[in-house]
Amino acid sequence: MHDADQVPSPPSIEGYLARLEVALHGADPALAHDALIDAEEHLQAAVRRGVPVDQAIASFGDVDEIAAAYRNLPSGAVLPTVERDRGGVTAAPAHAPPPPAPGTRAPRLSDVPIVGIWFDGRAWGALLYFGGVGFIVATACFVWAVTLGGLAVGLLPTLLGLPVLVLLLGSARALCLMEGAVVQGLLGVRMPRRVQPVHGAADVGFWQRIWCWLKDVRSWLSLAYLYANFPVSVALFSITLTLAVLSAAMVFGPLLQAAGLPFVSISSDDVTVRYFWTELKPTADGTIRLPMSLALSSVGLGLALATATLWLVRGLGWVYGHVVQAIQVARPQAILPHR
Amino acid sequence: MAPSLHDRLNKDLSTGTSWLVVLAVIARSDELIHGYEIARQLADEAPEGMSFKQGTLYPMLRSMEADGLVRSTLVPSTEGPARKCFTLTAEGRRVLASWAESWRASSRWVNRVLGETDARR
Repeated sequence: MHDADQVPSPPSIEGYLARLEVALHGADPALAHDALIDAEEHLQAAVRRGVPVDQAIASFGDVDEIAAAYRNLPSGAVLPTVERDRGGVTAAPAHAPPPPAPGTRAPRLSDVPIVGIWFDGRAWGALLYFGGVGFIVATACFVWAVTLGGLAVGLLPTLLGLPVLVLLLGSARALCLMEGAVVQGLLGVRMPRRVQPVHGAADVGFWQRIWCWLKDVRSWLSLAYLYANFPVSVALFSITLTLAVLSAAMVFGPLLQAAGLPFVSISSDDVTVRYFWTELKPTADGTIRLPMSLALSSVGLGLALATATLWLVRGLGWVYGHVVQAIQVARPQAILPHR
Repeated sequence: MAPSLHDRLNKDLSTGTSWLVVLAVIARSDELIHGYEIARQLADEAPEGMSFKQGTLYPMLRSMEADGLVRSTLVPSTEGPARKCFTLTAEGRRVLASWAESWRASSRWVNRVLGETDARR
């Protein structure tokens, strides 16, 4: 039996959300985040229309049932079913068809150990993200955050800086969401689809709403992300690009030589080129060619480095994606009902 | 505890029909419709003895959106934060029309068979 079942259902939306959060424990954080937003939005809408909280919660459904419905989402459609429940007939989520058991799925090229990474879409997505897209997005967000941040700080003594600061915080959350969509698309880490509303900001006036935004930790977390993500993205961009270009040069240099293009061409005899462990002298026509053994070694090492690079960016993508996810799903500590 | 035969039959019966009625409620709305409003209409129109666990609607809507049957839009609200509202896509309308026709045909078939069964009792 679930721990949350041992306490009576409290007639409060916060209590219900806390229990739902417990029931969703272990689920994908972004999925749990979406489920909590759905529940919060629905229950608040019901209460605003005059439905008593306990009735709204009862109609919404038992937390375990709702959690099960969300957990079934990734594996396909969630089909409601009818079941006898407390004398009535109740629609409840059916379990989606179970995923195929390991071994029954058709083998894919990406399953091949080590070199399977060449056929892994996420590795290429991570390469694209760290090697360009992420850098561009991070730079644009950083420029925006620094510009608006400077303006807000500069205008703060005149109080005009306050709305600018709120605009900055609001835009930081929206930019974080946008960044999350890019991360989900390229790195394959699921992100929430919506920004969680600022708790308490719905039913108050303008200044109180600004205060709610200012004291919401997630706004500041998003802003901090925009600032901190820039140097991280620059570093990852440099590492990724260096490794990718080096791998490509090691593989394609000898191949170009085989195609008739000399590896290096110089006009002086008094030059020695060192390619890894081998010293190379120019031939009579001033070109430097790699011996066959070195050319093959270069291609082999280049392919190995490229494979290692793909593994590296895929791993970095996993870590990076989960950091972004953690920021996006951050929410105030759930208040569990007293026992 | 294993579900009873009755429960399992009810599950089979209900599979798909909730999707059908949700699509129908969205289709008959003249404007974008909020999840709460869909749930309220379904609850209001549920037959006696049946209720609709409203919380199961939202994962269903997400599945429908992933399948391209509905499209969601955030609509600003005077009552609070922007609300996620839904409308049918062209594919959703096509699926609804096809599904409704299948449902009517199945319903006629079941009613005819049940009618003959009742008449022999």
